[in-house]
Amino acid sequence: MFRSNNLAARVFERQILTPRPGASVNLVRHFYENLVPSCTIYDIDCPDHSFRKFTDDGQYLVSFSRNHQDLIVYRPTWLSFSCEGEDCDSHSLPQKAKRFDSFFTQLYCVSLASSNEFICKDFFLYMESHQFGLFATSTAQSHDAPTTEGAIDGVPSIERITFYLVRLEDGVILDEKAFCNDFVNLAQSMGVFLYEDLLCIMSLRYQTIHILQIRDSGNLVDVRNIGIFCREDDELFINSHAHVTQGTSLLSGIKQRLLSFIFRKTWNEEADPTLRVQHLKKKFYFHFQDYVDLIMWKVQFLDRHHLLIKFGSVDGGVARSTDQQPAFFAVYNMETTEIVAFYQNSSEELYSLFEQFYDYFHANSRNSLHASFISSHSNNTHALDQLWCIKNKTNNISQFVKKMMTSLPCTCQSQSPSPYFDLSLFRYDEKLISATVRHRHSTEHPIKFISRRQPNILKFKIKPGPEAGGSDGRPKRISSFLFHPYLPFALSIQQTYMQPTVVNIHFRR
Amino acid sequence: MGSLLGDWPSYNPHNFSQLRPADPSAQPSKLTPVTYHPTHSRTLPPPNQVISTETRNILLRQFYQKPEEKLRPKRAASDNLTPAHGSKQLRGAFADGSN
Repeated sequence: MFRSNNLAARVFERQILTPRPGASVNLVRHFYENLVPSCTIYDIDCPDHSFRKFTDDGQYLVSFSRNHQDLIVYRPTWLSFSCEGEDCDSHSLPQKAKRFDSFFTQLYCVSLASSNEFICKDFFLYMESHQFGLFATSTAQSHDAPTTEGAIDGVPSIERITFYLVRLEDGVILDEKAFCNDFVNLAQSMGVFLYEDLLCIMSLRYQTIHILQIRDSGNLVDVRNIGIFCREDDELFINSHAHVTQGTSLLSGIKQRLLSFIFRKTWNEEADPTLRVQHLKKKFYFHFQDYVDLIMWKVQFLDRHHLLIKFGSVDGGVARSTDQQPAFFAVYNMETTEIVAFYQNSSEELYSLFEQFYDYFHANSRNSLHASFISSHSNNTHALDQLWCIKNKTNNISQFVKKMMTSLPCTCQSQSPSPYFDLSLFRYDEKLISATVRHRHSTEHPIKFISRRQPNILKFKIKPGPEAGGSDGRPKRISSFLFHPYLPFALSIQQTYMQPTVVNIHFRR
Repeated sequence: MGSLLGDWPSYNPHNFSQLRPADPSAQPSKLTPVTYHPTHSRTLPPPNQVISTETRNILLRQFYQKPEEKLRPKRAASDNLTPAHGSKQLRGAFADGSN
């Protein structure tokens, strides 16, 4: 804890202060209270691209062309200028400050999608250790796809989805993987999870989890597919006994694992052997068809061997909010091919794990340090207070638990690691701005960041832009904010219907 | 005077026996400070003990342990009375006079 709020005094204190063990990053982060992006340059003239995000190491700004076919990568730099004279602070910024290329240098422009394909703007995953980026292109979605073998009904189909692995340093496309007549939920990168060098892709249409490894050379290598078969040699075994299985349709491997787990769990619940069969009938056989009809929706890694899979009914397959439908969560061990745990989405036991160990659901590998410091209700008392506040106000605990469970399985890399979102440093209105990179309805009022440790002292404001007040009523505006992971630098992008996009830069002068 | 390092225990009774006080007028009986050493080896770790980090993170450990916890209360109460730590001995029986 620094004793003074003055920047120079803090620098001197840092020379002699030993931070608490394991909390040196938390202490050094207090400098962000002194260095804030308080200066705004409105409406800079920048190329008309859709900016996606800063990579988590702050090296690149990823953007896509308006026609969704090219990838353009910039390197963030810093405005530099000199001024003569004594009192430089009062000078206004030079004219070149209004230019985009004073802050960013374009590295390259690479075409990813060909004629009828489009880059999915929402999809981007970054592998920091090798500076690889994963992008996705897809053709148009069709809802009346013919049913092919193995595909389930009720899920739309996309003719071709291609994932590209690009080395961001120079824009070289290292490898690609295509899925044909399939459906992967690309919105917000929800259907894919990256953990260290492993990728899991949830193919909804064929109900298969594809596990791939990203090698150092940049190749995408298939590791295993979980769905119909669980072990690598299952397919061989079934095929060599084809005469036995002919005519019967077996349940898929993962479904068999799930049903046998539920059976054994229900069996063990009743100690008295005479009552066991009755208990099984009520708890298991009565719901048997419902369990068989479950499909996998979303998947994430918990560590290199364990997956958290969300199961639900076909109706809620593609939608994001699933309040009415029952959903289930299963923890699956890929090595032993066993289901370890199974919970319904109203389970209070699962909720208590969610409350205590949320950071472990985010499955941050040891390689990325900054990701461990993103504020969540498991590592920050202010966030936990907010959660308990909502919990205490609610009348229906079951509804509250289900609402919290909609955030599981977690979406990879969905939050910005910027220290300005650290809840122990700043207080801000989470409806207007938050670490989650998302489009929000714009507000006229500036968004205030208030210091947490000195209550009521405003540290800086982000004003999305001068009002566009039109005579025909307020136009609908959507803002999104891109914060640099460690510099006091942010972009706010305002999109108004039928008007050009406005980009503002907020930085520390 | 006491030794510079205080009256801390040491495993080797001959440590600190070479200490000479800075003050030449100190009495010879206080030259060698008292060293403490253990009189038994019950608290030594087993020779093949290796301490390493648990590979599974705490969340996964919870997922594995919860079903086991649910099974445990099913056992009869008398099972819990047998001491699990049979190797532990009562303290009073082996109290040594040495300090």
